[in-house]
Parts: sequence; C-alpha cells; structure tokens
Amino acid sequence: MSNWLRGKECVANNSEHDKRSDGPSRWSHCRKRGIDGNLRANTEANGSNGEKSRHSDNSYTHSDSRHSSFTTPESNGPVTRCNRRMDWGSQMEDEEMRRGVHKDMQRRRILAAEGNQRERKTSSGSSESCDSKEGDNMETDEAVLLRRQKQINYGKNTLAYDRYLKEVPKHMRQTGIHPKTPNKFKKYSRRSWDQQIKLWKVKLHAWDPPAEESQDKVLNNIEDLDIDDVMDIELDFPPLTDSQAPSASLATHSLSLEDEDCSGTPVKIQKTENAAESGVTANC
Amino acid sequence: MENSTEDYRIQSFDLDTQMLLKTALKDPGSVNLEKVSNIIVDQSLKDQMFSKEAGRICYTIVQAEVKQNNGNVFRRNLLNRLQQEFKVREDTRRRSLQEWVCYVTFICNIFDYLKVNNMPMVALVHPVYDCLIRLGQPDALMNEEEVDCLVLQLHRIGEQLEKVNVQRMDELFFLLRDGFLLQEGLTSMARLLLLEILEFRAGGWMLSSTAHKYYYSEIAD
Repeated sequence: MSNWLRGKECVANNSEHDKRSDGPSRWSHCRKRGIDGNLRANTEANGSNGEKSRHSDNSYTHSDSRHSSFTTPESNGPVTRCNRRMDWGSQMEDEEMRRGVHKDMQRRRILAAEGNQRERKTSSGSSESCDSKEGDNMETDEAVLLRRQKQINYGKNTLAYDRYLKEVPKHMRQTGIHPKTPNKFKKYSRRSWDQQIKLWKVKLHAWDPPAEESQDKVLNNIEDLDIDDVMDIELDFPPLTDSQAPSASLATHSLSLEDEDCSGTPVKIQKTENAAESGVTANC
Repeated sequence: MENSTEDYRIQSFDLDTQMLLKTALKDPGSVNLEKVSNIIVDQSLKDQMFSKEAGRICYTIVQAEVKQNNGNVFRRNLLNRLQQEFKVREDTRRRSLQEWVCYVTFICNIFDYLKVNNMPMVALVHPVYDCLIRLGQPDALMNEEEVDCLVLQLHRIGEQLEKVNVQRMDELFFLLRDGFLLQEGLTSMARLLLLEILEFRAGGWMLSSTAHKYYYSEIAD
C-alpha cells in the first residue's frame, strides 16, 4: 500500500470540466454531499446539479480530463502532476485545512505539555511510563498531517458519520465497539495508518442510512470495501471521453479522484477487497 | 446583527431575482448557489454601484451556508468565477473599460469582505495586486475612470494589502510616483488623485488633517 501515491488533482485548464458518465454508485446514498458540494437532500433545488449524485467529497474537485498522475522513468511509481490545486476555490479550501491542522498541532502541543506535567506530579518516580506518545513522539510533518486530515475528512463527510455522532455521544463510546477516529498526531508507518483509516471507515458503515436494502443487508455489506477506502491506490485509467461543453462557472460539476476510481473494478481493488475482508473484525 | 436588505443594494435586480437573493441569505441550502453566484458576478460587472457593495451580500451568503450545513459551494463558485474573469481581464479591458473597472472594484470588495479567520483570502492577494498594478500602468493612468478606481480601492483596502505583501505595494507605488512625475498628458484630476494617494500611504494610510483640508475642504459634507 505504501507504494501508491495519492494522486492529487491539478486544475490546469479551468474552462472545461470533465463529466464522468452515469448515475449514482451504490454508495451515493451514504454521501452527505453530491458532486457539486450540495447536500443530497436538496438535489431537486439545484436543477441540473441534481443528476450528479455521485459520491464525492466536496473538498475535492478536479475539472479536466487529464491524468492527474504519471509514472515517469525517474520515479518509482505514479507521481502527481502537480501538488497544488490551482483554482481559487480549492486554494481557499486547502488553505483552511492547513490552518485547521496547524491549530490542531498547537492545541495538541499545549495539551501534551500539560498532560506530562500532571503525570509527573502524580507518578511516583519514572516519567517514562507516562503517555509519551505525545510530546517528542508527535507527528509534525505538515505534509503527512495534511494527507491524514484529508483522509479523515473523507470519512467524516458521510451520512454514516453524522448518524453515528447523533446516535452515540462521545462519552458513551466504548473502545473496540465504537469506531474511533485515528489520531493523526501519533507516529505510525504509512501502511499502518492507511489500514487504520480503512478499518475505521468500514466500521462507520454500520451507520449507513438504509437505501432500498434493509438495515441487515447494509450490515452484511460492511465487509465490502467502500471505494474510497482504496483511494490511495493509483489506478491507470484511460481518461473517459465524455465531456460537456464548458458552462459559465468553473469547477462546479467536477469530480473527485474517487469518481475516477469507480468506473470499473480493476484487479487491484479486488485484491485489496479480499485483503480487507480477511482483516476486518466482527462488527456490530 | 442582521443587515436590512437595503444594505445589500439589490434594488437594481428584478423582483424575482431579489426574491432569490433574499432566500439565499436566509436559507442557502434551498437555492441553486451556483446560479446565485453567477447572478451576483454578472451584475457586478455591469453595475458600478453594485460592484462597490456586493462583497457584503456575498459575505452573508457564505456565512449563512457555513452555518446551515458547513458548506462552501457559494464561495467556491464565486471564487472560480472571479478567477475566470481574471484570466480574460485584458480582453475585458479592451472591450469595455467600464466592465474592467467594475471587475476590479468587485474583486477588491470581495477581498475586503470575504475574510477567513479575519485574514484576507490568500488566493486573492496576488490577483488584486495584478489588477491594481495594471491600473497603474501608463496607458491606464490616461483614463480618469481607471485612476479613480485605483485610488478608491487603495483607500479601502490598501492598508490590508500592504500588510500581506509590502513588496508589491512598493512596486505599485513606484509606478504611481513615476506616473505622477513623468507622464505627460495626465489630466489635472488624475494628478490630483495620484498626489493624494501618495500622501495617503506616506501618512500610514491616512491623511493628516492639513492634507485633508487641502484635498477635501471644497467638498460639501
């Protein structure tokens, strides 16, 4: 899993959008927001935006049909075309996320320092035995934190998460049973982190809103991986050819990387599904 | 604190559009925000009075959307539309000075109002500077409307702009000094405006009382 880079979209040509075909995926009903960022419940009010009920995270858009990553002779695997999204809308969202992560870091540092002080006062002698997972062992690499935050946002931007929050207040959460958001500040290997995220999201599916299927069926489907659980896998799809004429505004009918992924079920995903199935623990 | 709808200066729109805008302010989730942002941008490019104040209504809609469902569809559409217009600004200027001036007024107004955590929007800083520096070019200084637009924007947002990037402000003011001093064919009004803005910045983004008296004493209060 660590070989695969996450392809970040680069909007270089803002005057065109790429519209991937067809309708909702089977996870669409779990998404809080449609492709245009509007809440699902309001698809009627949004006219032509309403048909595009595909699952996407509204903070991810790209609006051209080019590959967002390539494998070059010099690189070991797919590399992103460019690291920053160039449209102003996305720039502002990225900026906000960066600020959010920095605030989290500050808060975490302060709390960690405080925690250590309290520990020293109460513990008998050895200060090593306390929670030294924070402090020196904190993950501080901004790129890593941002990437992790994006992954967390994907999971939180779901109806399942909303429903979960409503149903189980934080103080009622029981370890092991209730999904817990992975802590982005702890040091983990890339593989370990990605696996934690995957498992967390799989657990969250227990709170998916029922579609036509009964609640039971939804629970049985938990073992199936959500497509965005494998979002870190770079898939070499040829660009889909249907694209619409540019409309007056930009980047509104645009797609996330996840949509690119769901145009088929390549072998790589199938393999990962199997791996996940064997790794998934029993869920409620 | 709720602004009365008069503050948003939407009287120039037809009644249906006014209704749409009012709904967007109260219940953004129920309207097509892309359409709303296009309406606002289109009007700002035509109507100078509106372009001066459109930032306020945009700000309110952005806040309302965040509050209602933590969304930012409106903001994203607005910014991307602004970017689109920015890309073709030279053509716009060639085609219609009025529209170009409206665009600059509008983007500066958005810069003024749409802050994130009380910080100006990062994505807009350079584009705003690009526009103002364009207005400081010799060919633009020949047009009073462009000079007037330039000094108005600097009055409103100059201080903020300087805080986020002082080098570019210096760059702009080099142009203005040169223009004032060397450029032939400037109207006396243009020179007056330039002199005033030079003094304004030199005074820390305000005019001394004597300077104020010099420039504004003729004007009825």
